[in-house]
Amino acid sequence: MMQFTETPSRPLHQITPFSIPTMNTTNQVHQARSWPGFPTAKGLASFGDANCMEQLLVHCANAIESNDATLAQQILWVLNNIAPPDGDSNQRLTCAFLRALIVRAARSGTCKMLAAMASARCNLSIDTHTFSVIELANYVDLTPWHRFGFTAANAAILEAVEGYSVIHIVDLSSTHCMQIPTLIDAIANRLEGPPMVKLTVPGVSKDLPPMLDLTYEELGSKLVNFARSRNVMLEFRVVPSTHADGFASLIDQLRLQHLVYAETSEALVINCHMMLHYIPEETLSPLPNANSMPYTFEQSPNQSLRTMFLKALRGLNPTIVVLVDEDADLTSNNLVCRLRSAFNYLWIPYDTVDTFLPKGSKQRQWYEADICWKIENVIAHEGLQRVERVEPKSRWVQRMRNAEFRGASFGEEAVSEVKTMLDEHAAGWGLKKEEDDLVLTWKGHNVAFATAWLPA
Amino acid sequence: MPLYDSASSSAGSCSGSSSSSSSSKPPPPPPLQQDIDGLLAVAGYKIRSSELRQVAQRLERLETAMGNSPADFSQLASDAILYNPSDLAAWVDSLLSEFAQPPTCSSEFIPGPVNNGSTTAESHTPPVQQNITYEQRTLDNQLTVVTATEEDSGIRLVHMLMTCAECVQRGDFSLASSLINDMQGLLARVNTVCGIGKVAGHFIDALSRRIFRGIGGGSVGGGGYAFESEILYHHFYEACPYLKFAHFTANQAILEAFDGHDCVHVVDFNLMHGLQWPALIQALALRPGGPPLLRLTGIGPPSPDGRDSLREIGLRLAELARSVNVRFAFRGVAASRLEDVKPWMLQVNPKEAVAVNSIMQLHRLLGPDPIRNSPIETVLNWIKDLNPKILTVVEQEANHNQPSFLDRFTEALYYYSTMFDSLEACRVQPEKALAEIYIQKEIGNVVSCEGSARVERHEPLAKWRRRLSGAGFRPLALGSNAFKQASMLLTLFSAEGYSVEETEGCLTLGWHSRPLIAASAWQAVAEAGSSAACVG
Repeated sequence: MMQFTETPSRPLHQITPFSIPTMNTTNQVHQARSWPGFPTAKGLASFGDANCMEQLLVHCANAIESNDATLAQQILWVLNNIAPPDGDSNQRLTCAFLRALIVRAARSGTCKMLAAMASARCNLSIDTHTFSVIELANYVDLTPWHRFGFTAANAAILEAVEGYSVIHIVDLSSTHCMQIPTLIDAIANRLEGPPMVKLTVPGVSKDLPPMLDLTYEELGSKLVNFARSRNVMLEFRVVPSTHADGFASLIDQLRLQHLVYAETSEALVINCHMMLHYIPEETLSPLPNANSMPYTFEQSPNQSLRTMFLKALRGLNPTIVVLVDEDADLTSNNLVCRLRSAFNYLWIPYDTVDTFLPKGSKQRQWYEADICWKIENVIAHEGLQRVERVEPKSRWVQRMRNAEFRGASFGEEAVSEVKTMLDEHAAGWGLKKEEDDLVLTWKGHNVAFATAWLPA
Repeated sequence: MPLYDSASSSAGSCSGSSSSSSSSKPPPPPPLQQDIDGLLAVAGYKIRSSELRQVAQRLERLETAMGNSPADFSQLASDAILYNPSDLAAWVDSLLSEFAQPPTCSSEFIPGPVNNGSTTAESHTPPVQQNITYEQRTLDNQLTVVTATEEDSGIRLVHMLMTCAECVQRGDFSLASSLINDMQGLLARVNTVCGIGKVAGHFIDALSRRIFRGIGGGSVGGGGYAFESEILYHHFYEACPYLKFAHFTANQAILEAFDGHDCVHVVDFNLMHGLQWPALIQALALRPGGPPLLRLTGIGPPSPDGRDSLREIGLRLAELARSVNVRFAFRGVAASRLEDVKPWMLQVNPKEAVAVNSIMQLHRLLGPDPIRNSPIETVLNWIKDLNPKILTVVEQEANHNQPSFLDRFTEALYYYSTMFDSLEACRVQPEKALAEIYIQKEIGNVVSCEGSARVERHEPLAKWRRRLSGAGFRPLALGSNAFKQASMLLTLFSAEGYSVEETEGCLTLGWHSRPLIAASAWQAVAEAGSSAACVG
């Protein structure tokens, strides 16, 4: 007995509408597994490859979280084929996320250890580069990603420290004081003569990219020499301290100084550049043991280290606090939420890299390796190991206000300096002014924000 | 207890006790007169079956004593040489007396249930029939030791299965039937939830069906497909990685073969629920350069209840394809047997790149008569005439089509006990239970069916290579992507113990180095020009 069935040749119009297969985490005995479909509500016109890849990644993450090995395998198989590590920017972005999901799956209890993965010939290691000072200086200059924050911050700082004879800068930056030489230069050119500058840093966080091949002592002596060449006396100090406890030892040291030197005319500048988002916040629970609480002033057990850090800053009565960070929300405890947010933010560095680094160049490898590291941290890690806890500008603004700071506006000069800087880079970069704050954009999407604060 | 391991038994290691069963030939039947245990005899130790229990107890005592006084032991090790293995009991006793410490165990033991049933029919095979009792003896140091162990019974079961199969081959059905009874009795004392007990039970069933229903009469897994077999297949798919491995390995080869072609056509020899195709559709959707026009022709059995299940599956796949912007057309070909399909039914367009996909279907075409033109040759010929870009073949890696029944039986026992072992790792129900039934049906077909009813005529890769080469196909290496994907996916999501191997361009998936399923890819040796890509 022969039967032939055919689907209509134009399925778009003639197919009887089927209910969209939804995500099935349990199998019904007499029904075949539903394949997670793509919501047709998105419409065919706006359908894009990136959209598709995001959907696949989301379904994959769901499958891994719900231990649906079959579905996870199927999607991973597809992703492996459509996201080569040397493809276009969407493909490379997807590849990095795919890698992170595989690492996550390999870590989870029901799946294999990474060692077994190595034997399966999967190279999952990321080759992050350790930069020399020259390399790092060139690197951060390639793109406005960091230059934006440097320029805006330096302008605000200069304005705030006018008239002070001693400037004490506390540099909490992921870029190892790369902002400082330009600032020293500007300070040196002040009309009223160069002041003394004290620079305090919390010491190198060995695990965070970009990584430097110098010790901070070596770095410090380079900076002191540079300052001397500009006729500025620079005192450099490292207070070993880590983001993991909210820079407790640094805060203690500063508090001590504050008590001792309260009378002198010293401007205290707290420069936070892409660093504060590593301090644990409320979604990281439970907090470390209450007995080991680093802060010595009264604390409430419900406050995160991030809140307490900002409070401690306020207690130092700084002359100005500059807070620059990435404008995205990577704090959700829900993997899929986090994945969506990360995917919808980290496409930006992959998209921009074509404009300033040629394919195959070593620098591009370093750049993308650092992004890869970030993606892996956000997707594959949990708890204390997940350090990339980026919060959007609105959240930080609220935090600073809660900590009794008030926003300071960036002056016209600051704005025009940033604009001039942006002109040196590709056309896609832009600047937004939102009330007191400045926001760096790429093709209209928010990338990073710069805010300045004074004690309220 | 796996057949292929030399089982290390618990009590002081009668090391010869199991290794004999790992060879493919069954051990010779035990001598009827001497009451010597046959299995140990093969290893060179002569010991009376009636004394087995006492010797085992003493060996345990010896082991405990050794453990408690290692200094004495090292002395002992250099002194004690087993000159005469024919008197194992005496040797153990002499060792025991050497130890200063009296045995620390108490001599109480709790006799387990004694099975009365097994003592019937003793006249035929006394040494194999024992009053097997479970004994448990608790030592002072809280060791619980089981003497006449389940492993022991397991070994005996295997032993008896081989003997029974050999009887069947010889035509001695009365002996075979009594062995069946004995085995069922023995089965009652063995753990049938896992290990040897479970798979032995299926083989006993299949043997009895073969004996009592006559050859060829069984309807187990007979030539046609059945509706419930789809459900079983689906659960087998979920419970263990064999089918998934087949799908993603075949898909990888097909995806790579379709590279650069704008019109492609996949012919699936057994559509089932179309589980293989969503992943391929999505991979084609996002391939660089955009998706091709994809046609899928799915072959499957006619639906018994008037539903058109092929069409339903085709529509679901079409819906998925639409959602990812892949132009797609489906055609269902309902056929009770693969050999009833004729190439004109597939409506292959000469301008298309064709992939023919056969997941465990080709062996069904190996008819009972090897001399006449078997369906396999007919089908391979028309596949060749389609000039496919690729023919993906996945088959069970086993030799279940040998002419000798005993050879087939032995091979199947080895193969399916390995497969059942691998299934132990699956924790999900009802997937696991239904997967076991799926495998059980295969066992039933291999063992109890003959002639045209026996469709599970698995042949190993080496044979398929010769057959396909002889039919005018040349092998296509599966490529490193397929291997990497298979390795990664299996490492991530399947229990430890599975292994992917690559041999001469083909991939196999096995359990602990025994390959169980083999995937390969082929292309027709070009006679005319190769198929051109379609325009537009």
